[in-house]
Amino acid sequence: MSSFGFGLITAAVLAIATVGFTMQFAVTNVLNLAYGSVMINSAFVSYYLNVHGMNAWITLVGAVFTGSVVSWALNRFIFTPFQRRNLAPITVVIVALGVDLIGTFGLQALVGGNYVSFRLSPGSEYHFLGMILSGLQLIILAICAVVLGLVHWVLKYTRLGKAMRATSANPNLARNSGVKVQRVISTTWLISGALCGLAGAVFTMNTGVFEATSAQLYIVLLLAAMFLGGPGEPYGAMFGALTIGLATEISAAYVNPQYKEVFAFLVLLGMLTFRPYGIFGSEKTN
Amino acid sequence: MSAWAFYLTTIIVYGAVDAMACLALNYEFGFAGISNFGFIIFQSAGAYAAAILSMPRAATSNGGFQQYALGWNLPWPLPWIGATIVGGLIALPFVFLVGKRLRGDFAAVGLLVSAVLLNVLVKDYVPFLNGSAGISIVPAPFQSIWDPQVLGYQFVYGGVAVVLTVGVYFLFRRLTESPYGRSLRAMRDNDIVADSLGKNLRVQRATTLVVGGMVAALSGAILVGFISLWAPGAWGYAETIVLFAAIILGGAGNHKGAILGAILVPLGFEEITRFLPPVANPTLVPALEWVAIGLLIILFLWFRPEGVLPERRRILSGVSKKDAAVLPAEAVTSGQDTDALIKLGNLDELNFRHLLRLEDVVSDHRVILSTQGLTKTFHGVTVVSDVSFEVHQGRVTGLIGPNGAGKSTTLAMLAGTLPSSGGRVFYEGKDITALPSNERAKNGLVRTFQLASEFKKLTVLENLVSAIPNQSGDSFRGAMRGRRYWGREDKANIGRAMEVLEGFGLTQYADAYAGGLSGGQRRLVEIMRALLAEPKVLLLDEPMAGVHPNLAHKIGDQLTRLAEAGMTILMVEHELAIMDAYCDPVIVLAEGKVLAMGTMAELRANSEVVEAYLVG
Repeated sequence: MSSFGFGLITAAVLAIATVGFTMQFAVTNVLNLAYGSVMINSAFVSYYLNVHGMNAWITLVGAVFTGSVVSWALNRFIFTPFQRRNLAPITVVIVALGVDLIGTFGLQALVGGNYVSFRLSPGSEYHFLGMILSGLQLIILAICAVVLGLVHWVLKYTRLGKAMRATSANPNLARNSGVKVQRVISTTWLISGALCGLAGAVFTMNTGVFEATSAQLYIVLLLAAMFLGGPGEPYGAMFGALTIGLATEISAAYVNPQYKEVFAFLVLLGMLTFRPYGIFGSEKTN
Repeated sequence: MSAWAFYLTTIIVYGAVDAMACLALNYEFGFAGISNFGFIIFQSAGAYAAAILSMPRAATSNGGFQQYALGWNLPWPLPWIGATIVGGLIALPFVFLVGKRLRGDFAAVGLLVSAVLLNVLVKDYVPFLNGSAGISIVPAPFQSIWDPQVLGYQFVYGGVAVVLTVGVYFLFRRLTESPYGRSLRAMRDNDIVADSLGKNLRVQRATTLVVGGMVAALSGAILVGFISLWAPGAWGYAETIVLFAAIILGGAGNHKGAILGAILVPLGFEEITRFLPPVANPTLVPALEWVAIGLLIILFLWFRPEGVLPERRRILSGVSKKDAAVLPAEAVTSGQDTDALIKLGNLDELNFRHLLRLEDVVSDHRVILSTQGLTKTFHGVTVVSDVSFEVHQGRVTGLIGPNGAGKSTTLAMLAGTLPSSGGRVFYEGKDITALPSNERAKNGLVRTFQLASEFKKLTVLENLVSAIPNQSGDSFRGAMRGRRYWGREDKANIGRAMEVLEGFGLTQYADAYAGGLSGGQRRLVEIMRALLAEPKVLLLDEPMAGVHPNLAHKIGDQLTRLAEAGMTILMVEHELAIMDAYCDPVIVLAEGKVLAMGTMAELRANSEVVEAYLVG
């Protein structure tokens, strides 16, 4: 049962990250493989704020801000210009891989290859339903729940959410219906980047020690969660993240923990091979 | 002196191995358009296979300090051959990923993740390949009779590696400069269209991955025989990105570019760092190398996407390079002004029956193509609902309807581009509902597309010739047999395509990239290409859209002539004037259903049709 608790945390963090990732894919059709590097860079900003004695909440805000601005800039100055050239989607993916290398290893060159960890007290332990969670983990869970609630509210009840869904379904039709597509895309990248930065901070707070390349494998969990729920589907991403997060931690308790990512890999490959549009999704028109 | 000589041999071996790997990846990515982000798996599989095939049983080797499978102690060249076979076999499971339907970037991600997964598995499961420590003390070929540390041995090793690389270069050239290579490049430029012209994407991609995988594995085998160790740290997924950087820099779709890239990027980066002064921070130099690789990729893709040595334009028409019209691959000079100037050539003199292989066609106006209850739903929305109609042989049948009536969807289901959600399609009396689109095309059911669908980086002539069915050089085997086997036939095919090109008045563009033509010209290329696919039934999706009215009518006249020659045509169109002039009968679709069918005169008398379409 304690693995269920771990799984819950993993799932919550993964949900935030995946929702951001899938939103970027939804509005711009870009598989942003540089996502992990933005996460870890945001985490390091957060870490340095922490080291310099900032309050824990301010460090989170730092990560959110970094993720947001960096993601927006990536889309505005790299992905969009490449897409305007009408290249095959794969070109943009290759570009994203290049950005990922620059982001990850540029950071490594800057901060060195050593492991670091936040100076946060994990708080006292709480036991309930057979799970053992630290105060820090409870706070992380609460943050994730609130943020996912906010995402739900934005998507469902605001004009922006409606415009995002319209842009995702058919950008040309959305433009013709008076949606300011460019602005919607920019806003989406700001929001999804904020989620990305937040995910980076809470991911590293939860794992304890981390270094510049710690998020490199995270992209696999992200992709698995996204494809499970259907690419470009925020609610699918939440479902996928919950499944992958719980399954990896619970399977780690029963099988060799070294193979805990393997489950996510297999899910991803299975989905790509048999149901690339998610277990609920179907082929898109056009 | 001798230290430099040893250094030189190392460079030769590494250079040959990198060049071989880049040639293979370029064959997959630059020619066939498969973004194999898991390429390093294949090189690594070859290295491991060669290692454990050449080593003695694990328990007996050096006191059994390493664990690994096999250990067959085979003499050279068996480990290298074995490695090559393993490289081919390991490609097979990935055929499911790169097969027919999956988006290229999704498949690429799948391959990338596979590379990560396999690396993790090999690292964690020690008994198979000795885990993260890797396999060491791999015997060099003939080491019992010739000391591998001797300079002579190392030069011979380097020589063998270079000879094999040159062999690989000629192998790939033989493949890419054949009709088969043309089909690979067509698939790269637009796979859905290549499929609709009868190319079997699954087989083409599978063969490409297998051949590329075999060569990659051989390169790994050569490397491991020289450096005598192989470990998971050497083949992280990012190593594939280095090779991609090499190809992007050297020039995708150009074999010499791949070799140049191999020398500049993987080899160059490796060697330059040897000469850097030592730095305090051990991660700094490797980290900056990765940053440089990332920058290289992005800057080249932005400023010089074609690479240092761009893909060569293939001049097929026989005119000298200088005379051939030079058009860029991308610059689109669209607009009706240019199109108004298009003059068709001697089209009226072309003997379609002979040229398009229609001699055997019996013109009897029988039902040649029909549907029963054809239905398509997307996301639970029914786009085409219970559509049944018949198309008669030797007639030009029109399919009209307002926007969103389901015309293009119906056509796509007839051609097999889209699977139907319900109902059946019959062709020549046979139920073809389950037949894949490329098989339908081979049987004479050929379609065109509403949106521009030319193969951009193929010349106009190549676009045309690529569509001709049953070419003996258009298979892996045929291509391997060489120009002597397929050359004469290809020449005849080129001649036939030139004749059609002349008829349409576009001879001067024969050797220009199709992607550089004007909108109207590209439509003509598409029609010509579909004709050369030798259809019995031609499915045209708005062939006149965006075409100057003068030209539209000239095309229409030819459609009538084609029907007279025995071809059956089904044309989606929403220009009523075109329907009036050329189509009989006409099927009216509205909201996914057949509303009416008959001559235009009959339809004009039908109040329901007038209300649904002709007025609104």
